Amino acid sequence: MTTQVFKIPDSFKKDVRYTFCPGCDHGVAVRLVAEVLDELGLTQNTICAASIGCSVTIYDFLNIDTIESPHGRAMAVATGVKRAKPDKFVFTYQGDGDFASIGLAESMHAALRGEKISAICINNTTYGMTGGQLGPTTILGQVTTTSPTGRNLEYYGYPIKIAEHIALCDGTAFSARVSLDTVANIKKAKQAIKKAFEVQMKGLGLGFVEILSSCPTNWKMSPDKAHQRVREEMMPVFNLGIYKDVTQS
Amino acid sequence: MSNIVIDKTKCKACYLCIKECPKGLIKVSKDTNSLGNNVVEFADAKNECLGCAMCAQRCPDLAIIEVNKG
Amino acid sequence: MTQCLTGKKVLMKGNYAIANAAVLAGCECYFGYPITPQSEIGEFMSGKMQELGRAYVSAESELAAINMTIGACSTGAKAMTSSSSCAVSLMQEGLSYATSDQLPVVLVSVMRGGPGLGNIYPSQGDYFQATKGGGNGDYHLIVLAPSTVQECADLTYKAFYLAHKYKNPTVLLADGMLGQMMEPVEFKKYPYPEIDNSKWALDGAKGRTNRVIRSYAPLASNQCVYLEELYKKYKLIEENEVEWEEIGTEDADVVLVSFGSSARNAKIAAKLLREKGVKAGILRPITLYPFPAKRLSELALKVKKFITVEVNMGQMVNDVRLAVNGKVPVELIHKPVGIPPAPVEIVKQVEELI
Repeated sequence: MTTQVFKIPDSFKKDVRYTFCPGCDHGVAVRLVAEVLDELGLTQNTICAASIGCSVTIYDFLNIDTIESPHGRAMAVATGVKRAKPDKFVFTYQGDGDFASIGLAESMHAALRGEKISAICINNTTYGMTGGQLGPTTILGQVTTTSPTGRNLEYYGYPIKIAEHIALCDGTAFSARVSLDTVANIKKAKQAIKKAFEVQMKGLGLGFVEILSSCPTNWKMSPDKAHQRVREEMMPVFNLGIYKDVTQS
Repeated sequence: MSNIVIDKTKCKACYLCIKECPKGLIKVSKDTNSLGNNVVEFADAKNECLGCAMCAQRCPDLAIIEVNKG
Repeated sequence: MTQCLTGKKVLMKGNYAIANAAVLAGCECYFGYPITPQSEIGEFMSGKMQELGRAYVSAESELAAINMTIGACSTGAKAMTSSSSCAVSLMQEGLSYATSDQLPVVLVSVMRGGPGLGNIYPSQGDYFQATKGGGNGDYHLIVLAPSTVQECADLTYKAFYLAHKYKNPTVLLADGMLGQMMEPVEFKKYPYPEIDNSKWALDGAKGRTNRVIRSYAPLASNQCVYLEELYKKYKLIEENEVEWEEIGTEDADVVLVSFGSSARNAKIAAKLLREKGVKAGILRPITLYPFPAKRLSELALKVKKFITVEVNMGQMVNDVRLAVNGKVPVELIHKPVGIPPAPVEIVKQVEELI
């Protein structure tokens, strides 16, 4: 007698193949979102606001209604969707450049308004789709195509700690930073996504998860080495943890 | 008896699953898929698979489409 | 000013008339950011929409406002935003996306002086912004230009109708004068049929495959097919939705072409010219896109001269010249910014030009 302990999530489209680069953690993140949608029974009541960057193609993989937002505007688009249809489950899936650089105003204000939406932000410390330029989360010393000698304070200033900033907004119900570098952390990431979805369902406010993610292609590393970098270089700057959870206070 | 099912058309040869398997049951295959990748293959002659699904959890491409625990 | 008036004539500011009409048109969501000279629209909506339990967001910027409108429209809802000139500039990205996404966005644009911050006086300096667009790519916005407060109300209804009928962003292009002046206005019942959006709107993929509203078509061939289809729609709009007003053109030697607030004075000027024995008429485009180019082209066969009257440095005059295509001269009477040229001033300049 065997039991199935892993399968393709029902929210995932049949017979599609990810178009992400080999070893890219986007694939894991999208799968976790799909699993949580399945488990919470949300798939057929969801509207996703997709973004610009590698994250844009989420609608090719998940069988959920989606509107693609202009770069940085996913949180504003999601706000419009949710205000028009408050009974729908609404979430964004964005990269760090989209969420925290070009879209920082939209993201912060959605959090301050306490929009009853959820947001997933992939932090890979670079602009992936355009070829690995310096982004809002590029860490000090990191070499990118637009920081050829590494990020320095004089020219670039500091990276943003997104989960902490979003946690500071009074309308935020849940804010956490998770990682996909190990299977144990992948499981914790799923729990955080679930929580970020549940606070919306309970009408408590914004649910937010920042996911530390690898970009082997632009980091010019093997997928395994890339996960090592997440642990050794990213985590000391971007500490994992739950920064706000109104259900616990 | 536990086992995994690999959809070789989806494998992008990142080989993260190989490192994840506690029993070393996943190896690089000589076969290639339409992407030109040397895909991974699962061989479990001694029925060692634990059905832990670590490989599937790790796979970024959902190429391990099923894990059965027995 | 939070009551919603119907069925009787009232004295009302253009901005309030627009907002009141939007509520009566069934606008479910309003998103906006304050800017003079249109702030009364947001002020009215903030109270009224909350009172009616509809959606209202005081957006953090016009970028956010237009994108919230996009989000609401993606669910098939009647949604609008309003703004003015330099802030409508911030919305150009969203408008380009909304045309590509084929969403029924309604934008009320109450023009003020430009470029840049300009000033808060009336202007028609955003004719190009509305009809040519500042967003990227090939697209058109449907543009309606009211000339009276009554038309501010009537064309707001029409803006919602056309936006939903064609799934295309529609602009109500007023100006600071129309927005701020008071005139008698009567609100009819929303006269247009309700459009069924259930075939495309996002409402959760229940019992069907997912719907995706997107403008990202990475293959060149996809984009070619897409644009050809989009332009079939624009052809349809151009064939069916051109609207204009014409007075005294049947025997006219000179036809004034003017829209919006400046058309009010141009109309009086045409009458004064007739009294002086000049065979003058006026053509007032009500839709700026689609533009009444065909009618202007027909008139060009018998008219000796066209003169546009505008409050800008000469923008619509270019479209009139294109329509007339060199058949007869097209001149411009204009004022860079402010209250439109007075009728007597227009008469004087027409006499100099003919």
